[in-house]
Amino acid sequence: MGTLGLDSLSRRYGGTVAVERVDLEVAEGELVALLGPSGCGKTTTLRMVAGFVPPSSGTVRIGGRDVTRLPPHARDTGMVFQSYALFPHMSVGRNVAFGLEMRGIGKAERETRVREALRLVRLEGLEDRLPRQLSGGQQQRVALARALVVNPAVFLLDEPLSNLDAKLRAEVRAEIRGLQQRLGLTTLFVTHDQEEALTMADRLVVMERGRVRQVGTAEAIYARPADLFVAGFIGRINVLRGRLEGPGRFLAEGPTGPAATLPCPAATPPARPVLTIRPERIGIRPGAESGIPARLVQTAYLGPRTEYHFDLGTPGSGPVPLLAIRDTPGPAEPLHRLRTGDAAGLHWEAEDALLLPDDPA
Amino acid sequence: MAALVLPATLLVLGLLVAPMAILFRISLDRYSPTELVQEALTGENYLRAIADPYYREVLGTTLGIALLCTLLALLIAFPAAWWLARLEGRRRSLAVILTLFPLLVGNVVRAAGWMALLGRDGAINAALRGLGLIREPLGLLYTPGAVVAGIVAVVAPYMILTLATVIEAIPRNLEEAAANLGASPAAAFRRVVLPMALPGIAAGCVLVFILCMNAYATPVLLGGPQFKMMAPAVFDQFVRGTNWPFGAALAFILLLVTLALTLAGSAALSRRTAPR
Repeated sequence: MGTLGLDSLSRRYGGTVAVERVDLEVAEGELVALLGPSGCGKTTTLRMVAGFVPPSSGTVRIGGRDVTRLPPHARDTGMVFQSYALFPHMSVGRNVAFGLEMRGIGKAERETRVREALRLVRLEGLEDRLPRQLSGGQQQRVALARALVVNPAVFLLDEPLSNLDAKLRAEVRAEIRGLQQRLGLTTLFVTHDQEEALTMADRLVVMERGRVRQVGTAEAIYARPADLFVAGFIGRINVLRGRLEGPGRFLAEGPTGPAATLPCPAATPPARPVLTIRPERIGIRPGAESGIPARLVQTAYLGPRTEYHFDLGTPGSGPVPLLAIRDTPGPAEPLHRLRTGDAAGLHWEAEDALLLPDDPA
Repeated sequence: MAALVLPATLLVLGLLVAPMAILFRISLDRYSPTELVQEALTGENYLRAIADPYYREVLGTTLGIALLCTLLALLIAFPAAWWLARLEGRRRSLAVILTLFPLLVGNVVRAAGWMALLGRDGAINAALRGLGLIREPLGLLYTPGAVVAGIVAVVAPYMILTLATVIEAIPRNLEEAAANLGASPAAAFRRVVLPMALPGIAAGCVLVFILCMNAYATPVLLGGPQFKMMAPAVFDQFVRGTNWPFGAALAFILLLVTLALTLAGSAALSRRTAPR
């Protein structure tokens, strides 16, 4: 196992930029997820690490060694492809043995290691099957075993769960994370699924249009997104436009006028601030005696949780929508009796809200 | 549904099976200089064809030329097909049209072109003499080499298109996966691309081998009067010698040998493609 380093890595196709000056250090045994919408450059970045795409500029380091000019077969990365890319004309055993064979490892050791790798992914005894005789989940595990059996310096995963159904995905997610931690694999993981990234990664790299928008742990990125793009991409968030009335007081504005004064942190605000608040940080008191006056527009029952869609608008401001998500209340709780059209008082801690610079519109 | 295939079935029965049956019947008849065909039920035409060293040599030449041309076509076509399969959009359409271009010209016209190129006063000899490299013209035309070149030029497009279809169906990321696991481009080709392309190689070789075995215009025009392959020999019996029964027997021998080798080759290849 080794470390992985990207220094100012860029890839341009003609005039368009696919990846722009990406810097990243992945520590030994760390799992870093590249997360972003399609076309954000995350897959191109992964393919540059594997050597399938030559960078326009910048360097790729594996275990401290510059591998930018090395062809893919000399790089010692183990990749799991989105479509698994199993060799259809080879048995499971020969698929897994392929990398060992290419490294000139003898038959006896090959067999031992193949068996060990298949045991690791719980496919022992399926050596002689063909890939097409396996289920999607099993094929995925063969792809894992094939990449792991060679002990690559860096483990690369390209949307490995996207071809599995939802139930299996959660299972395989935990399995991959377990393997990765147990074997101490330095891993770069590409996904567009934020839940996948949040649950599996030590650190996340959020990308958009070829650039890194934020790097950090799941908690840090969720709680303190660097900008509106990251805030909106990871989880759900309310974005309220308006202006600061004073330290810690934000005046939300509707389409036609000011609506309500909201609590926000008193620290130095960015230029052109907008107020953002996660829906689950908002408390609801039925009735309008205290808090931010709001009217319930709609509810959506999700089982353990319920979404409450409020309007903070006044007759003069026009609608100012705000989403709150609470645990579904039991029959004895006052929130249980809140009906569409009812008034409520909303509240949150000033520090739960975050002032972010508005997108240049 | 069954009714829909009726016209095609009738067409095949009427235009293919019936003439073949008649031809087979004639191959069992006896030749007569006065009546041409004298009704009989004899295998002597076959026995004569097999016993006659001349026709054995013609069959041998035909087999040798067909195998050589198939091999050469495969070697030439594989890189071209690989390249074609990786093209996209308009560049691909253009490449397909260019590949098919030689087939837009009939066999006879194309052979005439080769004659103009290879003949004693042809383009190659003229150029070499003009450069002072040779004094006497080289005997390029009316050689087995000329026949091989002529046939390969005809069959290569068939091979390229057959192979391209198969190579195209091999996902690119299999090559990437092989490289990622440490396979050099040569090893990835040998271990992944080639085995997966084998069914296409088999199909292309069968198609091209059949075309080569039955080549007519090219051996006649580029091989000259001394050079004999089976198809011209059959033609000679029917038209020049007017010996229909013997010509029919030769035709069936050609058919059987082609069929036997085709089946044997396909069987051998499909054993190789069986996954291990």
